Amino acid sequence: MICTCSIVPPKVLRRFARDRRLPAKTRKAFANAIEYEAQWRMLRSMHTELSAASSALARGAPVPEPKVTVFDSKHGTTLPGVPVASPGSDATSKRAFAETAAVASFYEQLFGRNSVDDAGKTLMSSVHFSVRYNNAFWNGTQMVYGDGDGNIFLDFTKASDVIGHELTHGVTQFSAQLEYSDEPGGLNESVSDVFGSMFKQWRREETVDKADWLIGKEIIGRGAKARGFECLRDMSNPAARHCLAPQPTHYSDFRAGMDPHESSGIPNLAFYNTAVAIGGYSWEKAGKIWYEALTGFGPQPNMTMKAFAQRTRSVAKTLFRRDASTASAVDRAWKSVGL
Amino acid sequence: MTVLHVERLGGLPAIGTPRSPLRSCGEIALSELSQADRAAIEELFRNPPRAAASAVRDAFRYRISREGASGAETVEVPESAVPSPVAACVKDTFV
Repeated sequence: MICTCSIVPPKVLRRFARDRRLPAKTRKAFANAIEYEAQWRMLRSMHTELSAASSALARGAPVPEPKVTVFDSKHGTTLPGVPVASPGSDATSKRAFAETAAVASFYEQLFGRNSVDDAGKTLMSSVHFSVRYNNAFWNGTQMVYGDGDGNIFLDFTKASDVIGHELTHGVTQFSAQLEYSDEPGGLNESVSDVFGSMFKQWRREETVDKADWLIGKEIIGRGAKARGFECLRDMSNPAARHCLAPQPTHYSDFRAGMDPHESSGIPNLAFYNTAVAIGGYSWEKAGKIWYEALTGFGPQPNMTMKAFAQRTRSVAKTLFRRDASTASAVDRAWKSVGL
Repeated sequence: MTVLHVERLGGLPAIGTPRSPLRSCGEIALSELSQADRAAIEELFRNPPRAAASAVRDAFRYRISREGASGAETVEVPESAVPSPVAACVKDTFV
């Protein structure tokens, strides 16, 4: 027989899980408690430890932050490399430890997400990858950072938005699972830029009007600066001449087969226009809308830009039901890029 | 002597894309490669893996060309499939 005597009734848990006046992590705890409720009721008569864990969740107990590990590739290409003890042995590994932990806090505090998979996955990084390597990437399991050639690019861990960008590829992998070509590829790259930039703004406590909206500003080397380049990408003006990776700004310029780092300029500009129209901090409204559109609907590997735009419009209306100006800002932003 | 013409594309900096001011090119003689690497290159031309099918994000792609018995051949493959000496023969420069 299943015992149905719960301390907190399920309908109360559900109400708290939806209550936007509560912090995200508390709502997440209530949502978790609902999930565990059925099992908890079955096991309660056995007086297992599960009841205590569930009660703790119902009280909004904080979820432990995911473990962060860093490895030194020592200029080789074998991953992950040699383990580095926390807090790091040099400036690069220290940054990898600190900024990765900060990205985990960013996702947990603002969106109630426990690591990239929302299940506490250890966040692993390798630094000093290869020789004078002008790149950083997510390999499906971990982050990898090159030192740069010292002329065009500097150490890729120097840019917090790059670290946020790479970790967000993990979030996408465990949520919408967007493909990496054509329109879903452009969206995949864009959400990494969006949450990478948002993370940098959150670290600096910058409002949308104070933020620079540049991606990778801190990794631009002297040789590139001497030619007038200031960043990889500029979300406020994707086609700007100061970008090392300039992008189209309107959907009419999208072409099948485009590199995702090019086509992402279109949704990047839509996010920028949304955030600036709303004002304040980018993570308060625009970020919540984009996060829900990315993570709240299960895998959508072939999602088009138009479908993503429509989803953010719909989410804006749902999340900010009493604030028509937010939904209007989202709508106008997408229209401005032809979507 | 067969020479491989190599271009590195994409990555976080989107190198070699139409709007990019950066190109990353190089070449290497097949004779400079170990037997294992030559075999790996041969396999890339025979059965090139698709870059988009990889779970890796922001990785480079490599476009490798050679003059074969039936004329010029070109493949575009993910970085992870390229032997290290071939991957390392490129140099990033401004156009």
